[in-house]
Amino acid sequence: MTPAVVATGLVKEFEKGRYTLWQRLRREPDRRTRFRAVDGIDLRVETGEIFGLLGPNGAGKTTTMKMLSTLLEPTSGTIEVLGIDVARHPREVRARLGAMLSGERSLYWKLTGRENLEYFAALYHVPPKDTRERIDRSLAAVKLSDREDDYVERYSTGMRQRLALARALLPDPPLVILDEPTVGLDPQSSRDLRDRVRDLRAQGRTILLTTHYMEEADQLCDRVAIIDHGKIVALDSPAALKRTIRAEEIVRLEIGLHGDGSGLLAQLGRAGTIARQQQTNGTLAVTIHCSSARDLVPAAFDAARAHGATVQHVEVVPVTLEDVFLSVTGRELRE
Amino acid sequence: MRRYPTLLLSVLFWPILLPAAAVLMGRAYSGSNDPQAIEAFAQRAGTSEVTGFVFVGYAMYMWLSAMLWGPGSALRTEQVRGSLEAVFLTPASRLVPLFAPPIAALPAIILDFVVIFPAMWLLFGVVLPVDAMLRAVAVAMVGIPALYAIGALFASLVLRYGEIGPVVHLTRGIFVLACGITFPVAMLPAWAQVGAALLPPTYTVADTRAVLLRGEGLGAVASDLIFVVALTVIVGVLASVVFRWLDQSARRTGMLGRY
Repeated sequence: MTPAVVATGLVKEFEKGRYTLWQRLRREPDRRTRFRAVDGIDLRVETGEIFGLLGPNGAGKTTTMKMLSTLLEPTSGTIEVLGIDVARHPREVRARLGAMLSGERSLYWKLTGRENLEYFAALYHVPPKDTRERIDRSLAAVKLSDREDDYVERYSTGMRQRLALARALLPDPPLVILDEPTVGLDPQSSRDLRDRVRDLRAQGRTILLTTHYMEEADQLCDRVAIIDHGKIVALDSPAALKRTIRAEEIVRLEIGLHGDGSGLLAQLGRAGTIARQQQTNGTLAVTIHCSSARDLVPAAFDAARAHGATVQHVEVVPVTLEDVFLSVTGRELRE
Repeated sequence: MRRYPTLLLSVLFWPILLPAAAVLMGRAYSGSNDPQAIEAFAQRAGTSEVTGFVFVGYAMYMWLSAMLWGPGSALRTEQVRGSLEAVFLTPASRLVPLFAPPIAALPAIILDFVVIFPAMWLLFGVVLPVDAMLRAVAVAMVGIPALYAIGALFASLVLRYGEIGPVVHLTRGIFVLACGITFPVAMLPAWAQVGAALLPPTYTVADTRAVLLRGEGLGAVASDLIFVVALTVIVGVLASVVFRWLDQSARRTGMLGRY
């Protein structure tokens, strides 16, 4: 089966700074620098899966999505979407692609939900005799049929996001790409939208989405590519990615101490793997990967006591994609 | 209009009250229907019908405003709102967002043109023959695409430079000065008249006045109309080429989503 997306050696560079006509006429040196937003990404999204690009803001997720959807031209590399070369046949790609990139901003707020879809149905070349049925189906898919005649300005943010998703469904696309679909939504609306995305997969569509919410990637995606500084640093199913941590549990400790904590850290390091440590204002924050918190926590208390320190806070959490990100980049997802 | 019906009031202001003020001002300056003043005006403008001259000029001004800035304004609004990328994600031709949105302004422009005739009759007692009005509509139909093409050319620049409103306003001012909108082209210095002869609106406004106020037939202005059509094709093709080129540039630089 043809993969939904194949990207090879994808690079996107932007120029920073300006080189004005006046500077050119005066033959001043070109001081623009080049910034690499996407740095050699190889990607293969299989048909029928929900594939997530997980990374912090500025990691290159949106730039990648824009290249896949023909809005941006790659500096180098090739992209095939549904077996079609994006550079050679961009219009064919757009005809078969449902994309939701800028969410609620991309709608016409002074039109009703249905009017928005009618306009875009024309742009997607939906035959007029099919337009009504296609719009009805798209609205039903995102559970907005009862609000179709309301002006979009009266919609909640979550409803606007769902309408943007309905618009992406107008061409009846085998591939739907969603850029940060739940950003800015309350938990209920986020859950609702994630349910709609699962419905789309159940209909046989392939979903490629970006997110910086690790829970979203974990719960929703069949496979996740962790992206940082324009590069994919890890790619697998969420469960497999979490297994790379080689720990069953994560223990986060805050320890109050005076002076150097190196001896204490060395002792804690014997009980588990120290993933992160930071000492500020007499408090040592430590994240430890371990096989059993039941063993590690008492040992941590003993170690702290032995070094004249006090354990102030203990938190035991399961391994998450956040920890995977931390282990492969050395930084937290939210930094 | 359906949602904001008060917009209809603008139909009363722009095409009627504004030119009416100019007509009354002209009468005040010239001593209200002073034969000498009318004769002097006729020598320069080619017609003694001052009211018709002013009203046609203002109608042209409104078209200029709508058509020059319409496509660019529509594109810029889409860009700022965030819907331009959504439009560009569809398989529709990239020329659709360039040429399609301003079509929505056409009914209002036509309405402007329609209301000036009863306004001239009711306010100033000027009655124009129906056949002359039909010929004027024909001249306008030839002239509007030229304005449209010029507007599209400006709109293309939105993709690369974002805010081009000031450039459009300056151009509109130059057109108003050069094309005989509010005063005869004969009042311009000789060098400026040469420049005016290269601008399609100059012909459209002159020919509209010729058929409407001097009663000339379409045959008399045919050469002008052919020239306008030729300019329209040239500017239209240029606008399409520039738009495609700037679209490519925007896809390289990411300007589509920025503003």
